Order: sequence, then structure tokens, then C-alpha cells
Amino acid sequence: MRLTDEEKGILNGSRGEIAARCMKYMVEYGEAAGAEKLIDLDGTVDLHPSGGSPGGYGVTGAELRELARKGERFKVPTFSDKCTAPSFIFDGWETCGVEPSNNPDFHKKMLDELQPLIDMGMVPTFSCNHYLVSSFWPALGTHSAWVESSAIPYVNAVLGSRSNFDGNFQTAYLGKAPYYDMHITENRAATVLVKCETPLTKDTDYDLFGWAVGEALGLKVPAFTGIGRPNTTQLVKMNSALNTAGQVRMYHIPGQTPEAPTLEAAFQGKKPKEKLSITKADLKKAYDIMNYGASDAVDFVSLGCPFYNIEEIRHTADLLRGKKVKVRTWIMTNTITFKAAEMAGYRKTIDDSGAMLLSGACPGLLVGVVMPPHDYPNVVAMDACKQDFYITGHCHPHKVQVRYGTREECIDAAITGKFKGEWR
Amino acid sequence: MKTQDKIILKGRKVTGGVAEGEALVSKMPLMGWGNVDSKNGYTVERNHPLYEVPYKGKVLVFTEPRGSGGFVGYGVSRQFGTQPAAFLYRKGNNLTIFAAMTMGVPSVTDFDKDPTEVIETGDWVKVNGDTGVVEVTKKKK
Repeated sequence: MRLTDEEKGILNGSRGEIAARCMKYMVEYGEAAGAEKLIDLDGTVDLHPSGGSPGGYGVTGAELRELARKGERFKVPTFSDKCTAPSFIFDGWETCGVEPSNNPDFHKKMLDELQPLIDMGMVPTFSCNHYLVSSFWPALGTHSAWVESSAIPYVNAVLGSRSNFDGNFQTAYLGKAPYYDMHITENRAATVLVKCETPLTKDTDYDLFGWAVGEALGLKVPAFTGIGRPNTTQLVKMNSALNTAGQVRMYHIPGQTPEAPTLEAAFQGKKPKEKLSITKADLKKAYDIMNYGASDAVDFVSLGCPFYNIEEIRHTADLLRGKKVKVRTWIMTNTITFKAAEMAGYRKTIDDSGAMLLSGACPGLLVGVVMPPHDYPNVVAMDACKQDFYITGHCHPHKVQVRYGTREECIDAAITGKFKGEWR
Repeated sequence: MKTQDKIILKGRKVTGGVAEGEALVSKMPLMGWGNVDSKNGYTVERNHPLYEVPYKGKVLVFTEPRGSGGFVGYGVSRQFGTQPAAFLYRKGNNLTIFAAMTMGVPSVTDFDKDPTEVIETGDWVKVNGDTGVVEVTKKKK
């Protein structure tokens, strides 16, 4: 890989040992990727807050504190994804009932450990979809470094900023990333024309469509026709399924997404290499994968994968108004939408029903431990393919069954204790 | 004694080093995060053909990665001594790169032939991560 004089200097310690270590990581990563050079980021970084990185180039908590103390800052606007290993609930932890999230000492320790990153400029969104609330977007054509499977298609396809799946401390601290894959114009062209032959109406239709396409295409870049004009909720759901069932980092919706004013532009003037039709039967096949197990006696309802936006919370509060839930029900969002839900009174409506509005974590990040004091659920209802397909792994070897349905069906299960969802 | 045929695959280095072992092949993509058990060294993805099949010491051959950045969990196996001997895949992205870097074993991709078609579970595979050359000795049928 070719390095500039500045980059060689950093590698040789011109900016100190930690910057040199970050650059060593960047070089090893870039060479493994077959990248010819590094690119200066001019978009944003999304990172899981920890000093860790692949290959043992991480920074310690003490080193982070020292960097923050010296006034060091991230090179580009940087937003916090959810905390991973360990994760913690930012809002609503006091009454969540699960250990160690409900422990005040644990909560304080987590906040203390995050502070140096916040001091360095990381915005405390603690969200898998920080982009819905960051109040700052990378511009079309810029280079970014994001993380989180559901967010990657959003930055590439919806915002048109170019990102691999590599946002972390190193990319934020150096403001650089290896130049390969999604950073390169030609790699962003669609190669597969996907025609949806069945109307997508419900939010979960987009989730199932994303699953069907992701499973069929893996790493390829599709252009979609026949999917209407998905709204924010639908795009986020579709993205999360695309990048769970497969590894679709980029797609085009001609006439809607910024790099595809036309179908021809989506393919950058070339002919599609493949064509794929998605039918109602394909969505049903995905639906059947998601409904795992036969019991309808739900003991946990989990909504908010990816984190619910304010419109989804408003709808959820409407469904719960004046009702009482029979089973444990979590509705998860980010720190900023949580505040908006409090201001609007949605949180109180949810609280009054016995359900819980939480921010900053999800059952996946809590490795399936959602039942007090430290247990797994048995039958979970949810409205997200991503979380659905991971929860069985998180709870392994404990056997958990999953019932997949719309928000209305999940809330009905929360109120009645019985899942009655049906296909279409 | 009949000489066994060797098949040579040529790919691109991801991480260097030399290793050999018995192949464990997945014709389905692998998924990480909750669906990999780093400690026990196997996938726990429901319905997956390699569900609970240990990859420790095996040359793990698969098609593509999918899903979360927690794919690095395959690499984290090194902390538990359950990592594969080598990591070969048809096509990847930074998910597979990060897993390979963390695993610290030879890793090769972008082959001249699809490794999941040429290599079968049980074949003996020698991997040179530095040159990208992979030598396959088919198991006796």
C-alpha cells in the first residue's frame, strides 16, 4: 500500500505512539484488503464505543483518558453506536430488572469509561441508527467509516456517502480508512436488477423483502424496482434485513436514492449482470424462517430493532393507551428519541401499560438476558428479521422460540399473552 | 500404492503464514455475533449445516460472510484456543478481514476456482497465506 509522507511520519511516531499503533492497524488492514492507499475521511464516523480493534491494535481505557486529558479530538464528526461487550441500558435501566444493567455501580462505571471518548468528540447517541438523530449527515459523495450492519446500507444507499463496515476508534482518530470496496465509484454500481412482483405495504413487508434479497445476493449491489417509495421506517427495516440475510452494503432505488436518478444511472450505464424477481412466495419463505417454533404462549415482546424512531413509538403508545400488558414488553430506542418520547408523553403511556421504553441497548447486545434477574426468555414476539434470527444464537444453548409479526400483532401478544399473528 | 491427486488453488493473501489441516466446508455463508460461539468454536446459527460443528484446528472454507460486524467472533476464538488452522473464503469484505486479523491464522480469498466447490469436508489442505497457494489432497472415498 502507498502511504503519503504524512502517513509514513505517523507510522514512525510523529504523532505519538498511539497514532503510530492506529496507523499500523490501518496498514495491516489495508494490505489485507488489497487497498492501494488510505483515504482522508470527509464524512462522518460511526463507532461502537470501546478502544478495541481487530488484530490487537486496541487502546486501553487509561490511554483514552490520557488522550482526552491532552485535548486530542477525533478528526471527523463521530457518533456513538451502541456499547457492545458489555452493553448497558442508557435510559430506563433503573427498572429494567436485569443484571448487571440495573446495578447503579455498573451504570456509573460504564458512563465513566465512555467519558473520554465523549470528551474526544464522540456524540453520545448510543444507537444502531444514530443517523436518524445525529442532526448532522455526511454529504453525498463524501467518504465515511461507519459500523453496524443495519446502518451501512443507509450511509451508502440512502445518504450516498461512501463507507465500508470499518468505523472504529482508529478511523475516527486518524480520520482515514483504506480506499477499497465501497469507496470506489465502480464498486457502487448495481449489478443485479431486482423486480418486486408483490406489493409491499406493511413495514414488515420491507423487512421480509430485505431478507429475501439479502439471502439471494450476498455481497452484490442491487437496484430495486416495484418497491414503491419506502418511508424512513421501511428503509431502516429493509436495510437491517438486507445486511443480515446477506451482506448488501449498497443498493439503488431509481428515482429515490441519490446515486440513481434513473435506472441507467444505478448501473452506471452498464447492463445488469443478473435479474432477480421477488414474489409473494419469497416473502412467505422468509416469514416462515422468522417464525421459529410453534408455541404462541409469549413471555417476552421485543420491539425496536433497529431502534424505534419517534413515529414508531407514537404508534406503539397509541396501541398501548389504556391497556395493560400481560407479558414483559420492551420498546427500544436511542437516547435522543427517548427524550422526545418523554416530552410527547409517549413514555408515560407506555409506562402506564406496564411496557418499558428503554434506550441504548437491545436484547441482542444483552446477549439474550432480558428476564429478571439474569435469565433468557422462552417465546419471544418481535417485528424484526435481524433480531429474530440472532436471538436464538444469543440464547444458545437455551432454546428460545420466536414469533414474527407486525407491531400490532406483537402488541396484541403483549396484552393478551398469546401470539395470534398470521401471514398477510 | 496409488498416488493421490493434488489440486492447487491460487488466491490472494489476506493474512500470511503457513498451516495445514482437514477441511471443514460450508456452502452457506457464515454469520457471526450471536450466531457464533467463539468459546466453543462453532456456529450456532439455527438451521445451519455447520451448527455446533467445531472448527478448531480445521481449515475453515466457506462462501461469504453475512450479517453483523460481530462476524469478528470467528477471530475471537483465538482467545479460547478454538480458532481454525486457516480461513479460506470465496468472497469477503472487511468482516472476513477483521476476523482473519483477529484469528491470526493464514487466510486466502479471491481464488481462481470456487474453493467451496473444489474442497470437500475431510480433504487435507495445505495453506500458504503468503503466496496465496492452497494445496488440496482429496480424502479417500
